[in-house]
Amino acid sequence: MAGATIWKGYIHFKDTDVAVKLHNAVREERIQFHLLHKRDKVRLRQQMICTYEKQPVPAEEQCKGFEVEEGKYVIVDPEELEQTAPESTRMIEVHEFVKTEQIDPIFLDRLYYLEPDNPEIHGKGYNALVRALKEMGVEGICTWTIRKRSYLGALQARGKMLRLNALRYADEVVPATSLGLRDVSLSEKELKIGGLLIEKLTAPFEPQKFENEHQKKLQEMIEKKARGEKVVVSAPRRLKPTESDQLLQALEASLKKAA
Amino acid sequence: MAVQGMWSGTISFSLVAIPVRLVKAIEPGRISFRLLHNKDYSPLTRKMFCPKGETAVPPDEMIRGYEIMPDQYVLMTDEELESVSPERSRTIEIVEFIDMKEVDPIYYDHPYYLVPSKGGEKAYQLLVEVMHRTNKAGLAKFVLAEREYLVAVTPRDGALALVTLHYSDETLPDEDISPKKGKDAAEEENRIKKNIEQMIEDFNPGKYADERRKKLMDLLKTKAKEKAPVEAPAVEEGEGEGPADLVAALEESMRKVKESR
Amino acid sequence: MSRTFVEMAGRRLPLSNLEKDLYPSYGFTKAHILEYYRRISPFILPHLKDRALTLKRYPEGVENDFFFEKRCPSHRPAWVKTAEIPQEDGERRRVCLVNDLETLMWAENLASLELHVPLARARSAETPDSMVFDLDPGDQANILECARVALTLRDLLSRMGLASYVKTSGMKGLHVYVPLNRKETTFEDTKTFSKAVAEIMQKHYPDLVTAKMDKKYRKAKVFINWSQNDASKTMICVYSLRAREKPFVSFPLEWKELENLAGSGDPEKLQVMTSEAVSRVEKKGDLFQEVLVKKQKLPHL
Repeated sequence: MAGATIWKGYIHFKDTDVAVKLHNAVREERIQFHLLHKRDKVRLRQQMICTYEKQPVPAEEQCKGFEVEEGKYVIVDPEELEQTAPESTRMIEVHEFVKTEQIDPIFLDRLYYLEPDNPEIHGKGYNALVRALKEMGVEGICTWTIRKRSYLGALQARGKMLRLNALRYADEVVPATSLGLRDVSLSEKELKIGGLLIEKLTAPFEPQKFENEHQKKLQEMIEKKARGEKVVVSAPRRLKPTESDQLLQALEASLKKAA
Repeated sequence: MAVQGMWSGTISFSLVAIPVRLVKAIEPGRISFRLLHNKDYSPLTRKMFCPKGETAVPPDEMIRGYEIMPDQYVLMTDEELESVSPERSRTIEIVEFIDMKEVDPIYYDHPYYLVPSKGGEKAYQLLVEVMHRTNKAGLAKFVLAEREYLVAVTPRDGALALVTLHYSDETLPDEDISPKKGKDAAEEENRIKKNIEQMIEDFNPGKYADERRKKLMDLLKTKAKEKAPVEAPAVEEGEGEGPADLVAALEESMRKVKESR
Repeated sequence: MSRTFVEMAGRRLPLSNLEKDLYPSYGFTKAHILEYYRRISPFILPHLKDRALTLKRYPEGVENDFFFEKRCPSHRPAWVKTAEIPQEDGERRRVCLVNDLETLMWAENLASLELHVPLARARSAETPDSMVFDLDPGDQANILECARVALTLRDLLSRMGLASYVKTSGMKGLHVYVPLNRKETTFEDTKTFSKAVAEIMQKHYPDLVTAKMDKKYRKAKVFINWSQNDASKTMICVYSLRAREKPFVSFPLEWKELENLAGSGDPEKLQVMTSEAVSRVEKKGDLFQEVLVKKQKLPHL
């Protein structure tokens, strides 16, 4: 079952309005650890410490400062920050449409399902929008605001459904060019064999093949320890890096192995 | 290259192993705030405290615990955690290559970059280039801290990006909320298509980020003009706290300085 | 807006508004600034290398607002080297490293007149490679009083077995540096040591020196600011320009020279401007070179 309804509103662009309900599409479950004090096994609490008084500061005595010069801050209170956020509306406003293949996947954040609201009245528009988006191969770049927080996203169609894929803001994405990678020359032969190898190792994407095995093993280890049994510690496997001058050889051996 | 990694190990495909480090691909927006104490405007630091003690607990006195009963924990050392899946905690092994177009965006979780460590540059670039030419991505599993991730390794502007993916059982079904088959609405569809046609642009997410930042910058500028910025008092411990040895040595040196003048 | 392109080491850098006068009461344009930093680059770059740069930009000149930025701007060119530095609040900040002439020119094209850097390198942000005494004259005191304090400080440190080096701040004060260059030294060490030194100085010269931050104690005295010995603090880099009415530079002096100048009674003589800075450093070399390499251990800690 999809998650509970988070928000209700409508998609809007030009003279199109489609009423929708927003649902979570992903639910994560993970084993949760707590940080303890080694000595007395008591759970530690995170506290914010004033660097001047060296004392913990309760939440109501914390404020946000923007550093304008070393050690000098402009204080901004939450109400003021709210002013900079667009007003809450019931609208997912589509600003433009872009070809799906143009959307750089690094921008993709959380995904939500959109359920048609009042399908008797608005169902026609919902289905028509799904078909239009699919046939044209486009997604709608849109903004919406939930609980005073504004989001940027892509409105997309998949199967019979409309979905909202939240997008990260461009100023949050680190450009790959800033990593300062050096160019190394590769021979055509290395590239060719590398290409053949990848083709050999290619399979369709079947996510259900992959389970979180680690989670189960971890659960087992916890249970073992809880029973007071000894746990054998083994060192993590470390692979020996392939030397640059052995690369071609390693590729050729790989190709042979894959064949 | 001085990027500090949060994880280091090797990425492998078949018999090729490349030493790499993991770095962030997402940084919080450019305008960042500092948490301050509203009484003296001193910056706050994050510290872990033991409820039984008055002082912050240093990292080497901390240990992870899993709560099996209220206030009863099973302790886990880093070494134990690493040995849960020893083959995956330091190795990202690409098990197969896939076409990224087949990956429903619902699986996308968080992107990172891999950067080559010393000696790995050539094999790294080969993997980038070959995946780029064949339009493929590598699928792998690896363990970071307490969690195992299914990841896709893709080429991006000459670098390897690593995207953590959700497991399929983390994605929720949508049948219960999907629309019932409605009547054909060709007219409606054509009207919508015309609307869309007029609004097609190139993908340029930069313009949305700028708008948000501009509003905030304007606010900060106005505020800075209205009122002088606040300044934290200098951290000043009581006087004469210097180590006795040092203070005595300084006194002695000072006496000599004065004598020789 | 006027634009020119320069090619350096195969990198193309657009330069803009070269004719803009950023020191209007003196007359010193962006072209002058770029030229100054180009000529001083062999001497300033070793001191900037691998350190997190704090940008202080004056796009409208020294008489107008400046922009302060510790984060490396996202619009940086690809070849600008960066590092991530963990912050006290648990976040990490990406900073610019000025390791080559191209990056220096890029920063100056953004009108970053003042170049501020920490006392530690980015990859070992908790290890200071020098200890500093920031001598700051209060009202009714000037750089000559600072010089007297600096000379006494030199003697005291030397009796403790530590060599020290002095530079002008380019504003009203002096900076005394003690090279350490040992990976075992922490900011806690340098803070404890420098504070004890400042307090001894205050005790023996109560009419001349204060070790207290509070401005009310500073009148007619020299404040020995030891609290700059902190991972979160930055110092103006040696040879950096200052944003004042004239293009003064933070410039290293020989102790002998400081003795002579202190005796002359003319505070103006202690200030060094760009043209003099270039000719002096080209003739005498980098007087601050030892700060980067000399290994010294703080005694009695």
